Amino acid sequence: MSDHHDDHHDHHNPGFIQKYIFSTDHKMIGIQYGITALLFLLFGFYLMMVMRWSIAYPTEPLPAWMSWLFTEDWKAQWLSEGKLPGETYNMFGAMHGTIMVFLGIVPLGFGAFGNYVTPLQIGAPDMAFPKLNMMSYWIYLLGGLMMCGSFFLESGAAKSGWTNYPPLSFFADSQYPHQFWTGQTQWLIGLVLLITSSLLGSVNFITTIINLRAKGLTWMRLPFLVWAMLVTAFLLLLAFPPLEVAGIMQVVDRMFGSSFFQPSGLYHQQIGLSDASGGGSPLLYQHLFWFLGHPEVYVLLLPAIACVAEIIPVNTRRPIWGYKSMVYGVLVLGFLSFIVWAHHMYMTGMGPAVSAFFQTTTTLISIPSVILLTCLLISLWGGSIKFTPPMLWACAFLPMFGIGGLTGLPLAFNLVDLHLHDTYYVIGHFHYVVAPGILFGFFAGIHHWFPKLTGRYMSRTLNHLHFWPSLILMNTLFFPMLIQGMAGFHRRWYNGGDAYLTADPDSVNVFGKTVAEYIDLNIMMSWSAWLLCAAQIPFVINLFGSIKFGRKTNSDNPWNACSLEWATPTPPGHGNFIEEPVAYRGSYEYARPEVEEDFYPQWKKPVTDENKED
Amino acid sequence: MEIPYIVEPRKDTGLNNSKIAIWLFLASEVMLFGGLFSGYVFLRIYADYPWPERTLPVLPGLINTFVLIGSSITVVFAWVALKLREWRKFQIYMSITLICAALFMVLKGVEYNAKFGHQAIRLDDYTVIEGHAYPQEEGGDKKITKNLNIQAEQIQIDLKRVDDKYYETMGAQYGEHFVLAEDLTLNSKTKYEKGTAISKELIDAAKKDFIDALANNSNVNIAVARQASKDAGNQPELDGKRYYDKDRKDFIAKRTKELKAEQEDNYQNITPALTFIAKEGAVDISVNPRWGKLSNPKEGEKGTLKLKDETLISGTTADSSITMRVDGIDFRHTVMKAVEKGIDPEAAINNSWLLKDQSMKLIWDKHLVFVDKLQNYLDEHDKEPTDLDLYRITWQEIAGLMDKDIEDLEKMDHHEIAALFPGDIEGFAGANHTRVHYPKINVPREQVRFEAVFSPRWNTYYATYFTITGLHGLHVIGGAIVLGYYLFFGRKMYDANPEWLANRVEVGGLFWHFVDLVWIFLFPILYLM
Repeated sequence: MSDHHDDHHDHHNPGFIQKYIFSTDHKMIGIQYGITALLFLLFGFYLMMVMRWSIAYPTEPLPAWMSWLFTEDWKAQWLSEGKLPGETYNMFGAMHGTIMVFLGIVPLGFGAFGNYVTPLQIGAPDMAFPKLNMMSYWIYLLGGLMMCGSFFLESGAAKSGWTNYPPLSFFADSQYPHQFWTGQTQWLIGLVLLITSSLLGSVNFITTIINLRAKGLTWMRLPFLVWAMLVTAFLLLLAFPPLEVAGIMQVVDRMFGSSFFQPSGLYHQQIGLSDASGGGSPLLYQHLFWFLGHPEVYVLLLPAIACVAEIIPVNTRRPIWGYKSMVYGVLVLGFLSFIVWAHHMYMTGMGPAVSAFFQTTTTLISIPSVILLTCLLISLWGGSIKFTPPMLWACAFLPMFGIGGLTGLPLAFNLVDLHLHDTYYVIGHFHYVVAPGILFGFFAGIHHWFPKLTGRYMSRTLNHLHFWPSLILMNTLFFPMLIQGMAGFHRRWYNGGDAYLTADPDSVNVFGKTVAEYIDLNIMMSWSAWLLCAAQIPFVINLFGSIKFGRKTNSDNPWNACSLEWATPTPPGHGNFIEEPVAYRGSYEYARPEVEEDFYPQWKKPVTDENKED
Repeated sequence: MEIPYIVEPRKDTGLNNSKIAIWLFLASEVMLFGGLFSGYVFLRIYADYPWPERTLPVLPGLINTFVLIGSSITVVFAWVALKLREWRKFQIYMSITLICAALFMVLKGVEYNAKFGHQAIRLDDYTVIEGHAYPQEEGGDKKITKNLNIQAEQIQIDLKRVDDKYYETMGAQYGEHFVLAEDLTLNSKTKYEKGTAISKELIDAAKKDFIDALANNSNVNIAVARQASKDAGNQPELDGKRYYDKDRKDFIAKRTKELKAEQEDNYQNITPALTFIAKEGAVDISVNPRWGKLSNPKEGEKGTLKLKDETLISGTTADSSITMRVDGIDFRHTVMKAVEKGIDPEAAINNSWLLKDQSMKLIWDKHLVFVDKLQNYLDEHDKEPTDLDLYRITWQEIAGLMDKDIEDLEKMDHHEIAALFPGDIEGFAGANHTRVHYPKINVPREQVRFEAVFSPRWNTYYATYFTITGLHGLHVIGGAIVLGYYLFFGRKMYDANPEWLANRVEVGGLFWHFVDLVWIFLFPILYLM
């Protein structure tokens, strides 16, 4: 589209750099977010594959196909006879978590899908503040590169878990003279940058959704995705600042020697008595961290569930079931997510009263989550389901996320959590939510909106090669974790439990026998992980190959969907819509009796006698 | 399509885009400062040391409060002027706003500066003394007053960790005095003979050699480990055995040993550390106390100084005492510890190391007189003196009573004594050391439990103070930059559409009000409570 009467001609013929790199167009920024996030996910995946080697084969050296990425000096410093020592494992573990959560899933869901789809769905020409939008992306990239770049520092990258709890994190790297150039500090500064980026983004999103909705697009006509993005943005806006505070306080602790999180008389076996004033509180950090940490879970989840909620009605050809309850559900979910944070801290000795409170709110929050999932499930009932590639992923999302969610319930009860805390059960639980849950939702979204981006479909064959192995391997990877966790396997064992084994059958080491019983699952899980990586190859080929070789779509609305993003040209040009869109009805009007087709797009003028001449 | 509602408000929301955005941004700012304030509350409630109360000079804080409130008013006037299309007035009011912002930052700078020059020591018996540190030797560099000193006989440098900055700073002190203790032959066949003087080139060469050797050996080891593992796989009797099987482990251990023996020629020598000895007698070495730790801080005894980069300097500890002029004494922590241990607080104070010094003892005796009079005064009003009154001696008290005889003080009543204390102007940003010569004391290093200037390091109160006011200061600067942009570069906007600029100034003004509001919370919490 090109509007020749526009004053801003420069916007329409931007140079390469302005169009693809320093772009202020929400669609290009969305794509930038998407590609960057996928690359970070790949890197996070790689770290995990190396870790899984150490878990499955702790006494064997890393095979060459795993260690090729390391330089000679790096191997000399961080590997011990080719094997992964505990310290390196910790570094990889911390960075795996950080990358997946902060650099992978959040930017993919909120940054990529939010940026690309939201303005289109509300009929807006762009985000409310395009330059701010661009800044968000670049700050995010800078923060991400700082974190990952720290692998090459003398101290290595951060190594105190993705939660970075002090005083563990305080001692880590504390012996380096230049505190700024240590992995721990870089991690913190990177985190502060990421938060800043998210804050700018969330302000932009909320403003856009409130003020830039098209004519006639009232609140209850909004697609569910827009609601989900609105709630996500509010979570980011209000939950992230306390973590930013915590990050800044830790930076001050590290670089200026303060003791925000250092209790009095802190002692380290190698470093000795800490040269800090003391008087601080590690618990304070945990509160500040989890005040973000829990809403963060919903920041990850909501964009994915939103993608699924968009895809299911399109592929069942009937309206989403219980739209209103989903909207209120997601609002309640957003609110409750602010008052459940301390269920991550049952083991810190906060006291039973506090634990009881958070146990109650935590069980409460399962209600809106179940509402969302149930609505999606019931939406399938009686629909004429078309198993298009996005629908495959969406259908797999439902049970996978279901397992993830339901395995979380026991953890909400602090009595059960005493046993399961920090075991592989917890890992299994949240990986079920994030990997086969949220990521499947995003794969669904990629397949769904790909035709809008390129005017071509992604390949079905390659998708089958991607989908089925992924579905199976995700389960063989994560389900054994639940079993191991219940047997007491700790989540931070770098050798998979090898150290606890006992060869002597008469040994008093009872736990060693339990470990021996379940340790072989490690091998199955590790192989699943490595094969899972191979299973992503068809996706990469599909994603990039389909841009050129995919089957062409024959209309701007290839799925016959109802929401406004399909009213744009393909791909949408700068300013998105050729003429100002007007929404005449809700966004899930399928199988309506008034029209011949089985869908009644939002932007179609109502068929009445008055405007028949249109 | 172009982005709508940049200036004019949308009908159903009644707001333009930037108005929504700024309120959202302020909501997140509330959470940011909310987090910091809750941190403050948390730290103060759970503090296991006496919380420093009213230690900041109130006057500059108070002035700053009014300066910021004033600027909040003028920013509104500037906005009104724009609404009335009076450009000149806008310029004037906006300039006043910016001047206020600058004044605020200057005052803040004065306060910060006074803090960074103010030394505090927590003694071994938890007595806290505050004041100005003095050079160990008259005329010495002010920066090295607190340095750790050692008469070094031997230096061991860890090649993996040796830090350039440390080495270069120390290098001037090592000079040519230190020489290699033993012959050193690098893998590249370069030879350094025993007695070669310490130098950057030598250390760099040895470091490179060390890392190369490490990488080489690591490669050989990896190859060996892979081979051993492969051989185990080819062993029929080990077929199907898992890695933790004892036979398999034994086989691998044996095979690894064999393979390593075969590879013997491929291994390189690893020299992880270099040792240097003093050529002729011990050499004085002086180190920033943040850089390392003395194993034995007692003067004249054998000990080592270990730097953070693992450099180990051994020799005899030299005088590392801190000389300071004392403008504050606080026994509250001593009392707290004494109560914990069930010791009489008065006895703990009287036995403290500090009161062995005559001038300090005199200050304490005068303080007792002051407390006595205060007690009498408070008794009349049915009040009790607080711990702060009883155990903390402020700079006002020291300065006021320093030159008075104790007998004279005994004759006075509470009000007369209090009248001797200097007022707020006297010590605008804290105790004034140019006018008053506070009593001097020399604290040997072994008596020092913890020392710092009044920086975030000193305690969690100052950490909070600097973090919150620092972030607030950044907000002031950020706000001033935005408002300054409208003042100096706003004319173009104004000419295009005056309402546009008025909207932007309104939004900037909202932010400015928020910054002001934060300070209004900060001032009582940090300065008065």
